[in-house]
Formats: sequence, C-alpha cells, structure tokens
Amino acid sequence: MLRVGIDIGGTFTDFIAWRLKDGRSQSVNLKVPSTPGNYAEGFISGLEQVLAQFGDVADEDLMIVHGTTISTNTVIERKADPIALLTTEGFRDVLNIQRLRLRKPTNLFEQRTPPLVPRELVFEVEERTLFDGSIRKPIDPEQVKACAREALARGATGFAIALYHSYRNDEHERIAREAVREVAGDVEISISSEIWPQVGEYERSMVAVLNAFVQPKMAGYLTQIEGYLAENLPKARLFITRSNGGAMSTEEARRFPVHTLLSGPASGVTATIDMSKRLGNIAQCLTFDMGGTSTDVSLIRNNQQMTSTTSEVGDFPVSMPVTDIEAIGAGGGSIITMDGPVLRVGPQSAGARPGPAAFGHGGTQPAVSDAYVLCGMIDPENFLGGRMKLDAAAAERAISPVAEAMNTDIRTSAEAALNVATSNMVARVMPYLARHGVDPEDVTLVTFGGAGSLHGPLLARELGIRKVVIPTTPSVFCASGGLVTRLVNDAVITVHGMELTAQLLKDGFAELQTRSADWLAQQVEAEQIVETNYDRFVEARYRGQSFQILIPVGDAVAEGDMEALRAAFHAEHQRLYSHSDPEGEVEVLQLRTRVLGALPAPVAEPIGRAADATQALTGSRNIRLEGGEHLAQVYDRARLSAGAILAGPAIVEQHDTTILVPIGFSCTVNAEGELELELEKE
Amino acid sequence: MDPVRTAVMGNRFSAIVEEASAIVHRTAHTTFVKLIQDYQCALATPEGEIFAYPTQSGVTVFVGMPLHTTLDRIGRENFEEGDIYIMNDPFYTDGLVTHMMDVTMLYPVFRDGELIAFGWSFVHASDIGGAVPGSISPEFKEFYQEGLRVRPIKLFRRGELNHDARNIFLDNSRIPDEMWGDFTAMISGMRSMDRRLNELCDRYGTNTVKQGMQDVIAFGEEKSRDIIRELPDGEFTFSDYVEAIEGDQHIHLCTTMRIKGDELELDFTGTDPQVAAAYNFIIGDRTHPYVTQALTYYLLTKDPNMPMNAGLLRPITTVAPRGTVVNAEPPAAMGSRVAAGTRLYDTLLGCLDQALNGGLMGAGAGMVGIIVCTARDRITGRRRVSTLNPIMGGGGGRNGVDGIDGADGRSGALRNIPTEIIEVETMIHMRSCTLVPDTQSPGMHRSGSSLLLEMENTDQEATFTVRGMDRFRFRPWGTRGGNPGRPCEVILNPGTEDERSIGKIKVLIMKKGEVLRIISPAGGGFGDPLERDPARVAADLRAEMLSPERARADYGVVLDTEGAVDMDATRALRDERRAAAAAPQGHFNFGPEREAYNAIWPQGMRALLATEVLKVPKSARRNVMDAAYASLGARGCAVDEAAIHAALDAACAAHDVPRARAA
Repeated sequence: MLRVGIDIGGTFTDFIAWRLKDGRSQSVNLKVPSTPGNYAEGFISGLEQVLAQFGDVADEDLMIVHGTTISTNTVIERKADPIALLTTEGFRDVLNIQRLRLRKPTNLFEQRTPPLVPRELVFEVEERTLFDGSIRKPIDPEQVKACAREALARGATGFAIALYHSYRNDEHERIAREAVREVAGDVEISISSEIWPQVGEYERSMVAVLNAFVQPKMAGYLTQIEGYLAENLPKARLFITRSNGGAMSTEEARRFPVHTLLSGPASGVTATIDMSKRLGNIAQCLTFDMGGTSTDVSLIRNNQQMTSTTSEVGDFPVSMPVTDIEAIGAGGGSIITMDGPVLRVGPQSAGARPGPAAFGHGGTQPAVSDAYVLCGMIDPENFLGGRMKLDAAAAERAISPVAEAMNTDIRTSAEAALNVATSNMVARVMPYLARHGVDPEDVTLVTFGGAGSLHGPLLARELGIRKVVIPTTPSVFCASGGLVTRLVNDAVITVHGMELTAQLLKDGFAELQTRSADWLAQQVEAEQIVETNYDRFVEARYRGQSFQILIPVGDAVAEGDMEALRAAFHAEHQRLYSHSDPEGEVEVLQLRTRVLGALPAPVAEPIGRAADATQALTGSRNIRLEGGEHLAQVYDRARLSAGAILAGPAIVEQHDTTILVPIGFSCTVNAEGELELELEKE
Repeated sequence: MDPVRTAVMGNRFSAIVEEASAIVHRTAHTTFVKLIQDYQCALATPEGEIFAYPTQSGVTVFVGMPLHTTLDRIGRENFEEGDIYIMNDPFYTDGLVTHMMDVTMLYPVFRDGELIAFGWSFVHASDIGGAVPGSISPEFKEFYQEGLRVRPIKLFRRGELNHDARNIFLDNSRIPDEMWGDFTAMISGMRSMDRRLNELCDRYGTNTVKQGMQDVIAFGEEKSRDIIRELPDGEFTFSDYVEAIEGDQHIHLCTTMRIKGDELELDFTGTDPQVAAAYNFIIGDRTHPYVTQALTYYLLTKDPNMPMNAGLLRPITTVAPRGTVVNAEPPAAMGSRVAAGTRLYDTLLGCLDQALNGGLMGAGAGMVGIIVCTARDRITGRRRVSTLNPIMGGGGGRNGVDGIDGADGRSGALRNIPTEIIEVETMIHMRSCTLVPDTQSPGMHRSGSSLLLEMENTDQEATFTVRGMDRFRFRPWGTRGGNPGRPCEVILNPGTEDERSIGKIKVLIMKKGEVLRIISPAGGGFGDPLERDPARVAADLRAEMLSPERARADYGVVLDTEGAVDMDATRALRDERRAAAAAPQGHFNFGPEREAYNAIWPQGMRALLATEVLKVPKSARRNVMDAAYASLGARGCAVDEAAIHAALDAACAAHDVPRARAA
C-alpha cells in the first residue's frame, strides 16, 4: 500500500507519501512550485518525482488524497462561464438582496459583492411549495422550458435550481431539472435540495449556484488528472479532500465540487487531530498555520474539530458543515510601514510575488519575513536547507526608512515589527477563542506552514500559551492530512417547524444512516474501508430563541429517546453559554449524521533514541528577542533524536522550515520526533 | 507617542475589548443581544475617555462615548474595588444612556490599589417595564410610559451583589430572568476586561499600559485631525425632517457644520424643541458619538485603519441646545430615538456634501421599518409576537459609485429573516421579496433600488405594527443634479377591488387572505443623469432594472432597434436636453413635496421658530409651538421673520406666558 497526500497552494504544491511494504514503512515529502494556469502540470511532475523515490510502483495499490483550490480560485477570481438560476416566482432578487446586511456599514462607499449570476440570468418559475411541503401552485414544465431556452439564448452554459421550501419537498426542483435537461441537454444542472437541504433560501440557493459555477472547471481538472493516472498508474485510486476535513471520490467531487471550496486549511486540522489523539492529554489544541500569504487558526476540542455552517468563500456563504477556520491576517509577506507616527504591519501583503525584499523577486517593501532574517532567526544562507539564498542586504535596505522614521537601528526596528505583527495576531485570536469559551492558557498550540514554527512560539509567549507542539513535517503538514484523512460525508434532514416525536426522531436518524452508508458505498469498494463511524448531531434551541447550537448525540437519541436529547441540549447550552434552562422547551431544527470511513493510513513510528541534543548542534548565532541580543544554539532537526532536550533561546533548522524555541521555553523531542515546547516556571 | 508601544498597546487593548464583547455576546440571553447585537462593552481612562472599543461584535455607534459627566456626578472616589454601578437614567448620566432601554454598567479597574481604567457596558434590555411589552412605542409622550428610570446605584459593592439594586430592575421587567441573564453577561465581559488589563500590566508594567492608553487616544486624534484638515474650511447648514405621526407638523432637525483647520463644530441650533413622542434623545454637553455618526463613518471611510477610540471625537465639538429633540429634558420619551438619529445622520451627510469639493452622496432611503406581526404560532397555536423583517430602502448615489439596492448605510448592519423561516414559524405567507425596477433614482451615480415585500395573512386575524417607517411625504434628496428618491408606499390588497394605499402603519389588523405590500423608499441620485455612462445605463437595462422608456426620459439614452445604445442619437438627445434645461438651483434636489413645504417654510424659518420657542418657559413651550405652527401654516404663504414673531406673540398671550424677545 502506497498512500500520497497532495496539497496545492498559491505558491507551492506539497507532497507527502507513505508506503507500507513487507512490514516496513517509508515516507517521503516534497515541495514544488505551483503551476497556476495549469495546476495539473505541477501535480503530475511532483507526483512523478515523489514516486520515483519508491522505485517501481506501477503494480502497487496506490491511494492519492488530493486537496485542490481549483474551485476556490474559480469563485474568488469569478472566472467561469455564465450560469443561470431558476428561482421561485416573486423572488428574482434572492441573490441581490442576500441577507440584507452590509459587510462594512461604516464605509460610506461600501458595495455589495455582485452575485455570481447576473439578474438577467435569473428566471422566476411560476410555482410554489409551502412550508409543510404541500403545493400551493403546481409547476408547469413548459414554463420552465421557456425559461431555460431564454437562459441559453442569453448565454447560460449551466443551471442552478433553487425553489422555495425544496428542503421539505424536492418534487418541483426535480421536475424543473428534467425540463431544463430536455431543452439544454448535457449541461451542469445543480439543484439545491440534493446538495444541502436546509431551510433558508439565500444560503441554499448559493450552495446550488456555487456548485454549478465551479463544476466545469473542476470536472476539466479531474479529467486531466484521471487521464494521466489511468494511463500511467492504473491501480491508483484518487480521492479529493473536502471542506469538512474528510475526503470523497472523484465522481462525487465532479458532481458536487462545492464541497471542496474550503478544503485547503481543513486538511491541516485533520492532520492535527490525528497527532493530538496519539499524544493524548491534549484537551484543546489551537492550530496555527502560517505561510507567506495567510495565517489561519482553528480550535480542536477533545480531538474534535469545530464545525461551522456560516463560513464564506469570496464573500459568499457556504452553509454546509465545514471545519471552522479563522483567518487572522496575512503571513510572512505582511508589509511593514509607518502609519503616521506609528509602526504598522499589514494588512497589505507582498504576497508570493514580489514577496519579501530578502527573497530577491523584486520586492522593495519590508515584510515580516525580512524581519526574521534581520533578527537572526532565519539564516539567509541556509533557508529551505540552503536551496534558496536570501538577500539580507536587500531586507536591510527595505526596512531602513522605517528604522529612520523610528529613529532607531535596523535590528531594533525589525524586532519591533515582529512584536507588532504578534500583537495583531493576539487581537484576532483572543476574541476567536472567547467565542468558543476557551482561555488561551488552556490550549496547546500546534504550529505548521512555512512560517508557523517560527512565529507560533512568539505568539504563544504573548498569549500565555504554555505548550507548543511542532509536527515532524510542518511545512507539508496540510498534505500530510491527506495520509490520514477519512471519507467523510454529512447528511441532513430539516425538521424545523415540524412537531418532533420520538418516532420522527428515530425514523429520521434511520434514514440518515441509510443515506450515509449508501454514500460511503459509492466512494470506494467496501473492502478498502478499515473502520466506519457514524457521528450524530441535532441542531436545536430553546423555543422562542433565534439562535441554535449543534449538539452531538448518542445512540439513545438516534433510537428516539427524547429525554436524552433534551438532557444533551441543556448540558451543551450550559457549557457553551454558562447557563441553561432545564424547564425550557427544546425545539429541534435539524438532524444530522456524519459518516467517517477510515482508509489504510500510516501510524507514527518511533524515530530512535539517543538522548543528547548536542550531537545535533550545528553552531550558534545572535538573535534579537525580547528587546535584547541573545546567543541562541542552532540545531539540525534531522539529527535530533527522541528524548533530546534543549533550552530556549534556540533555533532548530529543518530542510524546509525554521523553528524558534523562545526564551523561557524548553524543547523536548518526543518518541515520534515531534518537538514539544513547554514554558518553564517563571 | 512611541511608535511601537502605541501599535502594540493598541492591538492588546483591542484584543481585550473584542474578547469581552465576544463573551457578552456568547453568554447573553436575549435576541436583542444575540441576533440584533444591540449591546457593547469598552474600556475608558479614569477621566472617562474610551481608549479601546470593539468592532467585531456589538454596535459601533457609541465609539468614543464620553463617561466624564457620569463619573463626575458619581464621584470617582466612590468607586471601590469590586464595585459595579448600574443605571439607565438618560438625564442623570447626561446622555451616557441615550434611552432608558440601554441599561448601562460602570466597572472600576484597579491595579495595586490604583484606579487605572473604567469598564463600560450596556445592553438594550428587551423590556424595562412601562406601558407596552418591549417598553417602546413612538406615540409615548413621556418617559414615565417607558418603564422605570434608575440613576447610578451599586449593583455590586466590593464584590458583593446588592440584591435590592438587582430586584429594582428585575421586579419591573416582564422578562426578569432573561434580563438577569443579560446583566450577568455584561458582568462577565467587564470582569474579563479587568483581568486582562491587569495581566497586561504584569507583562508590560503599569506605566507602559497607562501611557499606552494616552498614546492610542492621541493617535486616534491625530488621524482624525489629518482627515478634517483636508476638508475645506467653512460653514454648512442642512435641514431635514422626521415626519409627524399625525398632521403636517414635521420635526425639524438642523445641523450647522463649521470647519476650521483641523477642528470641526456641529451646531444643532434650530432643531425643534423636544416633542411629545418617543423621538427624543439626550447627548449632554460633550461631543457624543450618537450625533457624529455620519462624520465618524466618514473618518472610518477615509482611513479604515483608524483606531477605534475617543481620540476620533477630540477635534469635534458640539452645540446642542437643551430642550431640543437632540438634547431633551425630562419628561421626554426616547424609545424611538432611532427615527431622529437616522434623520440627523442625513443632515450631517447634507453638510458634508456641501463641504466636499465634488460632493459626497445623495440621502439614503432614511428609514428602517421593523415589521412585527402578532398571530397564532404555527406549532403551539398560542398567539405570538414575531419580528418578520427589517425593511430599509435603497442607498443614495455616491460620488463615484451607485447606491446599494435595498439597503442603506446607517442601518446596514441589520440582517433579514429568510422567507422560508418566516413561513415555517408564522402564519404569514410571503408572496414576494424583490427589488423594484425603475426605482433607482437617476443620477450620474444612481441610487439603489426600493425593496418590495408582499405578505399574505393566512390566520383568521393578524395584527401588524411597523415601527420606524418614514419618508412617506418628503423624498430622500438627490444632490449635485441627481434626482430625489421615491417615497415609501404601503398598499393593502394590491390588484383587488379592495386595493388602497394606507400610508404609515401604526397598527393594522388583517383578515385571512388579505395582502400587505410595502415598497420602501429609495435614496437620492448623485450628479446629473445626463452624465451617466451609457454603458452603465445599458447594464441596468440588461438587468431589467431600468425600462427603455425611463432610460430615454431620465438619462437621455436612445436605443437602436436591436436594443443596444445608439451613441450618436444619445449624444444628440443629451445635448438637446442640456440646452433646454434650466440652470441648477443649489446642490440639492428635494422633490416637489418638500419644495412645496419649503415655499411656506423657506430656508432658516423653521430654525428661527425653533430657536424662538426655546425661549418660552418650558411649561408652555409645546403648546405655544403647536399654536404658532398651526397659525403660520394656515396663512398659505411664505413665512417670514415678522410673521413668526407675530404668531409667537399671539400664542404666548393666549397661553398666558411672557415672551422673551432677542435683543
């Protein structure tokens, strides 16, 4: 068995591969530049390089789990052929009105993001289903066909259909799809009830619109890759990662590419959960994924990811359950400037191009990565294991106007910029944790991404986080999520407005069970699945409230135990909001089941033991930290073995990233090679 | 101002208040806090200047709220460690509370026995007692109808809960448990701010933290001054009206903006005396963020990275005569102050539009109606009060950009409730929720569209109230050649024999099958419609938001037989129109209704009347105002200074009060 995780980002495409053969395991990782314009090229050349390291693999079972941003980019760049939307009579402007609210009302020149479907391609279907699923006005297929013909005449190449109350009765959407199919033939037609049948017309319509919008690009990309695999690696199975942290078959991804929209950062969370389960004793983790252009955090509690149904992509809601990721700002490319008399870092970013001045791609404005170099944290001669020489002089030139304005020296200004950057992050992380009812003192920080292991420890120090864990392969950690991810699908039944009886509860969960099992069966041959789990949830609230919470429920509830359901609700409400009302009536809005099918996956292995850190010592250098110069020992991570302990301030260099052990922290190499940084008693 | 300390402390302070605001939101009980987010908490210096204010949750309108007067009156020496004061008295706090529903707390933060900051927090309490559930009705004449008024008292004394203080609030609310839940949330938020500020002192030292507070305010002030300095010097006056509940005695709101160098004065002299309706509020003598809102937004628009604190308001002074709608005295009712606040926002926009070379924007729709329906609950069968939706209108056209369809800046934070959810939860069937073609007010940059809502009652009987409706009679004004917007319209049973236009809804009882259609106002256009890029006109045509007839009539755009713009014919028609047009009069285009009103009440006369009436003893002021207004209006010709004085002399004599004349 050979399993490969592949993650395409804006700058780099990351690969990590693991093979179990004759009882021995072997793993390889690789970073290659992404190939925007034709991402498949980078995918194929990287895959070939990785597999070459395993010798002949043509006859091996190969499982590839691939994270792609094709769909995300298509939405953000709005580059797709026009599609049409069919909506219910009376509601042509559902996409224009959105939820009424403006993103930034304090901006007098605020504008709404234009809908993905222009008004001239939105058509009203003369039909109406009611809240209980009954039909007030029957649909007329001929009228639908007339709309479809007009849409085609106006240039539509695909269709989204979202009719009111279709989450309760999907009959009209199905009739409409057939009618459109007769007129338009073989084009993409997405219907809202099939993807995520929830109440709320704007969000549900957007799910169908997003799906239809990105479908052709995703299909084209998958065809290209599958073509390559069929020809060269006939035993390969390809899976695509999705926004809920799991994966799905390519067939599924082709039909429902909407599920990939937020998959990028979700994989890092999946990889973290796999690690934190093994480490044990970590009640709450905060992931810290910092790259050149973005920094994301996400909370994990009891090895469970936080799930959000209010995420967005390109200013559009993605209302299906996805891993809750909080973007807390730019990354190593954040630009350092003077804002009048005050030092500012970001929100402008040098991005991947031109990038920080030290990268030598033409950047002249100082960025956070330049400050790392100037503070001595990154060795310009040994960046990415020496594969990329950094230009420290260029970094110095770039920051000197800032130093002058501050009336100080280069190194002091560089450290000041890092302090400001860290405080920017604090200002975003603290409220994020507060919304989840968590104190920073009580979380373990897990850092990854190119700059995560350098800046994460700085952030930990500032936030009062006492423990930081650095995975073995921080810079390809999202790709490593692909090695451990499971096949995951969410299914929902909306019961909002129905009287929930024990029978309805039981029947509902039984139906969800069937749907989930069917879904899993369609993804892969049954014998490939190592283990299957079903997680069940209800979305509920106190009657009269207008906000709801998602609570995990056990088998008893699935069997129709209403009392257990209520008890679970009161308890979760108490935990989340510090109050509950055991007398209050509980109203259930949705039943949900998440199926998780595990595939063969690597198990972390001991890296060998040789307790002394000094054998990994490569030298020392002065770094600028906490207002002073400190001599830091520099270690080579590849030579650090389990049980080694070293004390901050120290630098650990790895071929693709640099790790900082701050003052006051000790660093222990654990049995599997992760670095565990802990705050010593002060 | 240290460049690094200012930046780092600014971020750390902001983290503290954002976290606290998130805690209040997460742990609060009521919908007002959870969904509408009508609450906030912030940190102020011991003097009373807010140095950190959240932006990610809660309301932004109170950024820079001055605590000084309330702290002076309580006496800072009376705050002990562990104390929390609670209050909802607008008059005693001189505007720290702008209406009684905003229950407010103050919390002293101590460091090693030294008072280093104050925590401030409020929630809009869903019910503080009074004559109606929710405590608010526009028709209330005195605050006594709006619930219980409490000046600052200690809710906690050295960490001990004062049960008496708690019970005063709870015993007078229809929902005491929820109220206490919200109070506990505020307390949690403020305790979090206390803890975090002390931790910051642990990390950086108390002096750095204290100095940081002054730095960030000074930074805010400097940025604010930089923007004001860019504005041309001068004096700009603008008047607008909140429409009367009955009759035509509309409430006059008047702002004069004086800009000199990097300072700016807002003078509300000329604004009507407080009214016997719940449209009043109070701001005291210091610059109050409730009345600077449009200006604050302008500052935040010019510099989105502006620190959120009282420094923003330092270059701004205000003059707000006591006894007017904007600085009311007892027994003024204030529950529906949002109507006056919205219109005052328009007057500031009007001033800024005059001040700025090239102008700023046309008026927004200028109303936010909250539609509330009482009918049977679909599930329980009990009668239930449901908020169906807010309804706003299209935003005004702006210098460089069109207005927003169906939504407007000042109330832009409100979300709607999905049609499907309304239908699941209530007996109302939504027939339509849509934009309305040909309602985007013409301009070089046109306004946003009106919004149409059509609701059918499926219960035996349903009662509708819509509070906050306005702009039925005076259109939102256009500017710089832009057309005025479309007024609000409410129609019962459209398309049937029973169809009738019913105007502003107070209470409407609908029978089964009856249909209510509301078409919101649209803001005013910006700039001459004949200057609008024909390509943009073509885009509106293509989107079917503009008819070919209106394209020709309003924009001078001619289409060829294919429906494309005929550029030559368009140019010719536009030239012809320009030649025929009269020279524009002034910046603003108010529309015929307001022009007719202005013909009776020329520029400055309503302000003069208001100013003169304020000199009348309080006891008779309202009666004298009503009598003088009625007699002046009845003359049927333009009011002048002499007529005002004569009318006031007569009214004072009739009410047996002396009439003080200006020297």
